[in-house]
Amino acid sequence: MPIDLRGPLGLTLALLPVVLLTAWSLVVMLVVAWRHGSEADSRLAGWLSVAGILGAAGATLWLWLAGAESAGQPHMVYLDEYRFVSELLILFIAGATCLLSLRFLGKQRLLAPEYYVLVLFATIGMQLMVASADFILLFIGLEVMSISVYVLAGFDRFRRSSAEAALKYFLVGAFASAFLLYGIALVYGATGQTHFILIGQQLAGSDRSLLARMGLALLLVGFAFKTAAVPFHMWAPDVYDGAPTPVTGFMATGVKTAAFVALVRVLADAFPTFASLWQPIIAVLAVASMVVGNVVALAQGSLKRMLAYSSIAHAGYLLVGVWTATDMGRAAVLLYLIAYSITSLAAFGIITAVERVGSRTVMLEDVEGFFRVRPWGALSMGVCLLSLLGFPGTFGFIGKWYLMTAAIDRNQLLLAVVMGLGSLVSLGYYLPVVMAMTMKPERTPDAHRQVLFSRAAKAIIAVAVLVNLLFGVWPRKVVDLALSASQHMSAQTARRPAGDR
Amino acid sequence: MPPDLLGPTLALSGILFSIGVLGALLRRNAIILFMCVELMLNAVNLAFVAFARYYGFGGHVLVFFVMTVAAAEAAVGLAIMLALFRHNQTLDLQDINLLHG
Repeated sequence: MPIDLRGPLGLTLALLPVVLLTAWSLVVMLVVAWRHGSEADSRLAGWLSVAGILGAAGATLWLWLAGAESAGQPHMVYLDEYRFVSELLILFIAGATCLLSLRFLGKQRLLAPEYYVLVLFATIGMQLMVASADFILLFIGLEVMSISVYVLAGFDRFRRSSAEAALKYFLVGAFASAFLLYGIALVYGATGQTHFILIGQQLAGSDRSLLARMGLALLLVGFAFKTAAVPFHMWAPDVYDGAPTPVTGFMATGVKTAAFVALVRVLADAFPTFASLWQPIIAVLAVASMVVGNVVALAQGSLKRMLAYSSIAHAGYLLVGVWTATDMGRAAVLLYLIAYSITSLAAFGIITAVERVGSRTVMLEDVEGFFRVRPWGALSMGVCLLSLLGFPGTFGFIGKWYLMTAAIDRNQLLLAVVMGLGSLVSLGYYLPVVMAMTMKPERTPDAHRQVLFSRAAKAIIAVAVLVNLLFGVWPRKVVDLALSASQHMSAQTARRPAGDR
Repeated sequence: MPPDLLGPTLALSGILFSIGVLGALLRRNAIILFMCVELMLNAVNLAFVAFARYYGFGGHVLVFFVMTVAAAEAAVGLAIMLALFRHNQTLDLQDINLLHG
């Protein structure tokens, strides 16, 4: 189904999932303005948000199955499988975050249903980021997402650590946005374009001007901050630790997915001719992230901090896929984003359930003896940690396997080896959690009395664990999906004619 | 046709951006830090306006978006600072331990 992106009607159709969710989030905001007193009202807002997200996912699926593609001129948004798959992943993350928060907000006395409205706004920003084919739209999506997440990080404002996390995230995020913007400005100055593909065509025809090179460097700094790659990661552990746990899960998965998809797009479409310039930078970032993330995670006692450092290491793994600049590599990035997001969400969901009222975080000692009291919960956590580790038979292994294969295909053994060693080191911090859960007795007899899994959270965690195991042993379908998505993406890029907008 | 001011304008924009970066890295007060970030954003705006003279409206459009976003950011940022001030009675980042990794 070709869609003409020049007219307002075509653009609305191409952005239908975003438009629907925006309209619905305004409705939810109105509902919340009237009903915001009790826990029931908060839960109503949560279920309304889930309904809106399902609607947006339906619209995305419809566009995908109808074979939507742009007719003629390139314009603001992409219409290809890569976008649809990543958009569905983001909607899944948002829906799961809402479901995991349902009981949490009541438990922690955070009775402000605006929480769900902010999650919806952040989701809209992420959708725009993965759909954008133009720096203007990318910037707006990024800011809509970031500003909502700043507030979410500080949502538990009566707790000092949450407010600190929000301030830290806000200052670092605004600082990073300014770098990204200056990069956009310089690239615009070098080419006169803000559209990725048109920039790529302009840059292919000319020699590498200083402006474009500086612009690319500044863009990479901005993206490195947003994806929490070493050495731009200092904010991540404190922010992940201080934010309310479901929000941490949302940041670690949704923000990362959106930023990585945007990064892949920018490098593939706007700077394909600059590969010899950005590949070394990405490789350094990847190695540094894998080493620092994995090593520092060993020393963490708090589970949230440990997962924060492990998410830095996972950003490093993903950067290996970005480095390859091949269809295979881009497919591996998408595949790993799916595996990592689903697994991390479930892990943070379980930590959410374990967390005590008013407590700052969950320490390793707090999960001792968890298996005896909650066997299914402990088992799910074990599967998630093994998948993050990349244990054979889980989805995480498949993701890592394809990332490594993509790197080896480009004759880059070093990155693949560092990745393998990093995974080996990560045994040292994932296994102690499993051992604490299964082999040690509870600290106190009523240690796990406050553990609270809502039915919705149970369902989400069960789905995540089953998907993990299913794709771990039978990955054909999802691998084919990622491969065809990334081939579709590069085919669309190649097909597009030159021309002014 | 007025004289070509692209070079000087870009230089000014680069200097402003550098002042912003240095300030953000060296100063310890959250409000001052935020002002430095705003300075960086305005340096970006200056660069966009300078380039837009050559390339047409795209740059001007972006300037308006940047200004709008900066305003939204200020609203949220000041609210966050207020929330933290209630806990700490200070916005000095030395006490808040901002760069502790």
